[in-house]
Amino acid sequence: MLSSNKPTTISRFLDVPVSDPEDARRRRLLNVILAGAFVSSVAVLLTSIVFTGLGWITLTRQEGIILIGSAAAVIVGSSIIYIVNRRVSGTLASGLFLSLLMLVLPFADTTHELVNGRSLFLFVIPIFISAALLGSAASFIFYLLSAAEMTILALIIGEPPNTIAIVTIFILALLSWLSARSLEQALRELRTINIDLDRRVEDRTRELSEALARELIEAGKNQAILEGIADGVIVFDTQGKSIVANPSLSRLLEIPAPDLLGTTLENILQVGKAAPQDRGTILGMLHQPQKDMPSVRFRWGDRTLLVNAALVKTDLGDAIGTVAVFRDFTREAEVEQMKNTFVAMVSHELRTPLNAILGFAEMIREAVYGPITARQAGVMERIENSSRRLLSLVSDLLDQAQIEAGRMKIHIAEFQVSDLMDSLRVALDKQAAEKGLTLTTKIEPGMPSVALGDFNRLQQILLNLGGNAVKFTESGGVTVRIYRVDERYWGFDVTDTGPGISAEARGYIFESFRQVEDVVIREHGGIGLGLAIVKSLVELMGGQILLASEVGKGATFTVTFPFEPSKEKTK
Amino acid sequence: MNESLALIVEDDADLNEVFRQALAAAGFATESVYDGRTALEFLEKIAPSIVILDLHLPFVSGETILKKIHSTPSLENVRVVITTADAAAAEFLRDQADLVLVKPISYIQLRDLTKRLNPVLQTDKFKTTPRAE
Repeated sequence: MLSSNKPTTISRFLDVPVSDPEDARRRRLLNVILAGAFVSSVAVLLTSIVFTGLGWITLTRQEGIILIGSAAAVIVGSSIIYIVNRRVSGTLASGLFLSLLMLVLPFADTTHELVNGRSLFLFVIPIFISAALLGSAASFIFYLLSAAEMTILALIIGEPPNTIAIVTIFILALLSWLSARSLEQALRELRTINIDLDRRVEDRTRELSEALARELIEAGKNQAILEGIADGVIVFDTQGKSIVANPSLSRLLEIPAPDLLGTTLENILQVGKAAPQDRGTILGMLHQPQKDMPSVRFRWGDRTLLVNAALVKTDLGDAIGTVAVFRDFTREAEVEQMKNTFVAMVSHELRTPLNAILGFAEMIREAVYGPITARQAGVMERIENSSRRLLSLVSDLLDQAQIEAGRMKIHIAEFQVSDLMDSLRVALDKQAAEKGLTLTTKIEPGMPSVALGDFNRLQQILLNLGGNAVKFTESGGVTVRIYRVDERYWGFDVTDTGPGISAEARGYIFESFRQVEDVVIREHGGIGLGLAIVKSLVELMGGQILLASEVGKGATFTVTFPFEPSKEKTK
Repeated sequence: MNESLALIVEDDADLNEVFRQALAAAGFATESVYDGRTALEFLEKIAPSIVILDLHLPFVSGETILKKIHSTPSLENVRVVITTADAAAAEFLRDQADLVLVKPISYIQLRDLTKRLNPVLQTDKFKTTPRAE
């Protein structure tokens, strides 16, 4: 509730603590009147005694008894009524008080003065007080009682009733009734307004406290999530100063939590153990974070960490900072390392016995172990071919594993362009001739004789594309051209007169483990890694591969590379 | 220097046999060892005209043997053919050997390539026919 004034001793004495405010008002008013009556009676009594003692006034014995009796009656009566008013009922107390007043009135002055003289006004008092204490209508009741008392008193002393006074007092009673009524109404309205206001304040307070509680729960939840999460989270404002950092980050970076706040990422990386080149990469990422950007992996002491960054945006899309999430990648990096070692070992272990099988088959065919028939030689050749296919599958798997692990290394060195073409001819001449296909190779004028690149990988790319072309072409031929594109790029084309590749297949042909149709797999073997590896290798060397084809009209694979590739690149 | 002697250093017995046959067919007398330590011991006693050297070997690696050959004056004229399954490693060692072959290595390929490195065949006009054992 609004009222919070500290009650004074007087108001504590006058107030009656009840829930109905109207009742409380009346009881307080009655108490005030009682107090006034009490005090004035005491004053009159004392004054009369003092003045009589001093001889200033002279009272007859009868007058003295009346004076003392009236004052004592008021003092005792008002005390009793006060107790009733406080303890029992305001209405009862008011009724008692007014009755007492009516009883005391005839003794307030001589009967003559009361009925016809100076004290006539006294009869108005109960009317006004009753209107205030018992409600507006009570003024009429006490008017009637006053009028009756006046008439009775007049008749007692043998005088005619004072008709003019009775009528005048009625008008006063009417006025009292009106004013009490309007006061009641005003108070009622005020109370309604107060109640409404109180309810509104209460509602608002409840809403506020609920919202506050919700907010606290929400904030607590976010805080708990932030603190419980295993990843290290740090938020920078638009000035690049850190404003939030969770305990996991402190653990992960081995930097005390207070040192992570109010500082920049540069400082944090400086304090820590990040390698300089990693530092550059991480800072670059944080200054221009993009959603689909891959995580940056870096060494931090003897651990491997992964970091990701994203902009923190408001609902309206304004950037208000950057959040970076660090993750311990040590275990995963170890597993990955183990997997790579395993794949490398398995492929090496597979290759060695396969190489032996191939060698022995060749030796039998070459009659190292004695003469063989033509049919036997044919079988040996089949063994050799199958072994070679198996070997190339193993190589593909190894390459794919390395590319996926980001461990495929590219070694850039100068090489003879003609060597590239020669190696292709050595590998494919025979196959093409056996199928009755022409194999045309051409190094265009303008192409330098020496270029920069990873010769082994270039050879692998060219052989894969050329091998595919020969494999899928049944008639016509395969053309391979090496040429200079412009000052910055060179490239090669592998064109065949095979069945062509549908638009749909062109969409996925460079994906791992995909071949154009199941039929093709049955007919030509392979597990669909070749072109995926080719594409990865081309991109590792900073190049681009394009496919142009139409069903029934053959296909052309175009590969372009920069003349100046970056010296060494790891995907 | 023992002319036309080939030392085959390869831990896989079957592959060692394939290489040995290829070298024999190329006109070399052959000696097979299956680990790096034995290879070093052999090289301390005898300088062959050619070494077929695998890189992954038990006890002592192929790289160590390669360094030993390059740092020993008596082994100065030994021709070295490195065999490896690792194309990247092969690239690095290209300058340090007469030939670097990436596995799988074909019998015919090895035979024909080493035939060119046979000092006997290069100096003599006589051609020895490979013989089956």
